[in-house]
Amino acid sequence: MNAVNTWNSTQHFWLIILGFIVAFIPRFIPLMLFTKRSIPEWFNEWMKFVPVSLFTALVVKDIFIDSASYALLLNKYSEMLAAVIVIIVAYRTRSMAISVIVGLIGVFILSMFMA
Amino acid sequence: MNKRRPNPKQVPDPNEPLWRSTLRVAMPLNLSYIPIGLACGILLHAAGFNTLLTGLVSLLIFSGGAQFLIATMLTINSPLLSIVLMLFFLELRYALLSSSLSPYLKGSSNRFLFMFAVSLNDENYAINYLKFATDKKWTGKEALMVEHYSLLFWAASNVVGSLIGSALKIDLSIVNFALTALFLYMIVMQIKNRLTIVICLISGVLAAVCMMLTKSTLGLVISTIIASLIGFALEATLRKKLPDSHWLWRLRSPGSKKEAVEHSDAN
Repeated sequence: MNAVNTWNSTQHFWLIILGFIVAFIPRFIPLMLFTKRSIPEWFNEWMKFVPVSLFTALVVKDIFIDSASYALLLNKYSEMLAAVIVIIVAYRTRSMAISVIVGLIGVFILSMFMA
Repeated sequence: MNKRRPNPKQVPDPNEPLWRSTLRVAMPLNLSYIPIGLACGILLHAAGFNTLLTGLVSLLIFSGGAQFLIATMLTINSPLLSIVLMLFFLELRYALLSSSLSPYLKGSSNRFLFMFAVSLNDENYAINYLKFATDKKWTGKEALMVEHYSLLFWAASNVVGSLIGSALKIDLSIVNFALTALFLYMIVMQIKNRLTIVICLISGVLAAVCMMLTKSTLGLVISTIIASLIGFALEATLRKKLPDSHWLWRLRSPGSKKEAVEHSDAN
């Protein structure tokens, strides 16, 4: 990735303000609605599966999908192997910081051999 | 039952001031925000954000995923509207997270809910959800303090990352993997039974298919909704038809610990 961006700080500022609005609405509206009236039981049972589905989807996007063309990529071997290492480390240590640091070191070393 | 308890400090000092006890809960998260925040700050700097704006975006948007996305899309010169739309779809998931926290925040004022929503985030959600579910004394006030601690550490490490980025030359594709590793960690912590693993696989395949079809991150939202509905339907059917199904057995994994605590309380 090469930094070829031509925006100035005013444009960045408006991006942040608009980003804040779209980030804030989905966080606030459900809180405001559902603290005033009760949520049905089935809704909670459904919500249990949301985080795990979303995080898997995000990982698939990072490892298997090209960020510009949205085509399937199956050649990011260093990321794939590093992902397996992170899963094992996360399972054994249950530490977020160790998992992330091991993942970064892992992908750094692997990409030197597999690039 | 389990040798390793989720929280070895089960009996806190009753005289411990609130700011310290909540800081103790938030500290593991705060520390893990440092490498990710540094990575994000470096990427934002490479995308052309100055240090002041990096601090501002960390305070106002406060989402690793969104900030990494902004950095990536700026480097490929996407138009403003398409970045904001993409952010909207990425941030839609917070609707699901905040509705799952809402039963614990009943009776709070709108002003409090506003403050709570502004600093809500995937990771502090995970902590607060676990604390609300297992700790009867955990209230919105404590939860908001945890959010503010994590916000402080996140913004500070982003700013430091931005300064590092202006001083050193760094391979950005490697830094980007920090976020992937973070999500992988959060998946592992969510695995409760074999059914959850099945849902992971379904969601992974669906996500790839949906993103290839929609050619945007809108595919993420669609696949998340479908996969979670499949999980909900499968679990309900299994519980009804085959209550002893081995698909529902708890695994010896971090995610099942929360249930272990609830069971020992009930007995």
